[in-house]
Amino acid sequence: MALYEARGLSYRYRLNGHHVDALRGVDLEIKNGEFVAIAGPSGSGKTTLLNLIGLLDLPSGGSIHFEGKDVLNLAERERSLLRRERIGFIFQTFNLIPVLSACENVEYFLLKRKIRRAEARRRALEALDKVGIASQADQRPSDMSGGQRQRVAIARALVREPAVVLADEPTAALDQTTGLAVVNVMKHLNRERGITFIFSSHDPKILTAADRVIQLVDGRILQ
Amino acid sequence: MSRAAVVLKLSLRNLFRNRRHSLYALATITIASMGLLIFMGFNRGTMDEYRENTIRARWGHGQLYMRGYREKAHERPWENWIESPQETIEKLRALPGVRELFPRVTIPAMIAAGGKAVAGQGEGIDGAAEARFFTRMNYVEGGDLNDRPFAIVLGIGLAQGLGVHVNDEVELVARAGNTALHSAKLTVSGIFQTGVQDFDSHAFRIPLKLAQQLLETERVETISVALSGVRAWPEFAGAANTLLPDLEAVPFDELDKVYYRHAVDWLDAQFAFIEDIVLLMVFFGIFNAISMTVMERTAEIGTLRAHGDSRMEIALGQVIEAAGLALLGGSLGILGGWLLSIGPLSHGIQMPPAPGLTRGLRITIELARDEALRVLGLAVVTSAAGSVLPVWRAMHIPIVEALRHV
Repeated sequence: MALYEARGLSYRYRLNGHHVDALRGVDLEIKNGEFVAIAGPSGSGKTTLLNLIGLLDLPSGGSIHFEGKDVLNLAERERSLLRRERIGFIFQTFNLIPVLSACENVEYFLLKRKIRRAEARRRALEALDKVGIASQADQRPSDMSGGQRQRVAIARALVREPAVVLADEPTAALDQTTGLAVVNVMKHLNRERGITFIFSSHDPKILTAADRVIQLVDGRILQ
Repeated sequence: MSRAAVVLKLSLRNLFRNRRHSLYALATITIASMGLLIFMGFNRGTMDEYRENTIRARWGHGQLYMRGYREKAHERPWENWIESPQETIEKLRALPGVRELFPRVTIPAMIAAGGKAVAGQGEGIDGAAEARFFTRMNYVEGGDLNDRPFAIVLGIGLAQGLGVHVNDEVELVARAGNTALHSAKLTVSGIFQTGVQDFDSHAFRIPLKLAQQLLETERVETISVALSGVRAWPEFAGAANTLLPDLEAVPFDELDKVYYRHAVDWLDAQFAFIEDIVLLMVFFGIFNAISMTVMERTAEIGTLRAHGDSRMEIALGQVIEAAGLALLGGSLGILGGWLLSIGPLSHGIQMPPAPGLTRGLRITIELARDEALRVLGLAVVTSAAGSVLPVWRAMHIPIVEALRHV
């Protein structure tokens, strides 16, 4: 069974009184354990596709099955629960909570799953260690570099042991060396833990790390 | 750790995140709470001052009349007065809360001095007993009647009308029944100014026995009651009505509707209006602070929602933040109000004469625990109300739109 199976996905929105088609009939299948990149120029629909398969938004048409479940028929609350339990996110601008330390950022969502405090702390430190940043566990995001923040974001995404991690341009705010290092961390975790990674990028060097590259142009997948 | 505890932790940390915004909201709530508490204390002080003035200058905590006497005019009023007053007083003395009882008669009379004559509405009283309780007569000259048998005390307006001072002699002429006129020569022992212009212009007091002689009666019109406190009245009145069903117990605020009840109602209405304005300030202060917070943290709200936080959890976080600000600001306001009341305002505030009064009153700020709790409650409720709209907005921002927010 595929992790994701999307058929005929389309997404239309209004901009200055005109309809814009961000996605036009996208068919997609991603298997468990894949390390997939979505490539394409700006405005090609990469972020929209990640938002839809991340259950952050609803498409204008088509269907999405996640782990065999038709997720578009779920209630808002059920989609929130599914995101909390099964999907991890990494954002271009890291999106860490500034009033929490690196460790607290990672354990925050574990505590919300009613995991005991000591256990949550142990797992958060372990996740930070996996991305090579355990020594900065008590630092706040404002005291960290961009690469360090993104590693915290990766640890945050991974610590809940999701089925898939979606990363929208995770290296765009980083220099190329740091970006490659971050992607290598992701790939290492993919290999080690078998977690599916789907990330978007328009940087050819970053894309070389992917097992499979899905090329998007004008809202369509290039075959 | 429960989910609520995690949300609480994050909310409390967020309180100190943008210190300028938090301080602005905190200052609004603190100052408003302090102002409300001080104003409540001032209001309470004013009410208490009015009440004490009313009780200890004129009425006592209430008075007893023959049932139905006050409802209609009588051609021969003394025929409807209380018979055997001493026996009645002895019975009343055993009732709960009673400290003292003062028999009285009303005596309308002409008072003459130095070729001038003025109509007055007087009372015959037990001077020695009343001097102990009626301590708010505010004598501007001389003092109480005490036990002098041929003395009179006059309201300041009456004394000015007659042109008399303490130790001057006046002649009092009263009609007994429908026939005889009796007169007495009396020495002015005191001139009082309660502050109630109407009362001070006509009122005089003479010894009870003399008044009864002039009116040719052994009865008393009323028995004024001094209790252990205002709260003792309902129990006393209930017991008095049971023990002596022919008598009617009337509390001071009903006896003095014009001066006391109306003043209290007016002040209450004024206070409610000012309270509403203050609460509106708090409402907009919080509305502004939480709106700014939601705007600043839109991307963060998007992140939390993306990671599976429900709308209710997002709302809860914001409401806890508003409530935290309100609790902190309200507590600081109460502390500030208390410090003001024991510091700069400890001697009260000298107020000019209120409408209908001829003398000003010094109002002390009287803080009460239940009012402090009410201020805190109002701060929290108003802050929660002020956060509703921004919180609703935070709950309903589409996730992808929130994530794009810079």
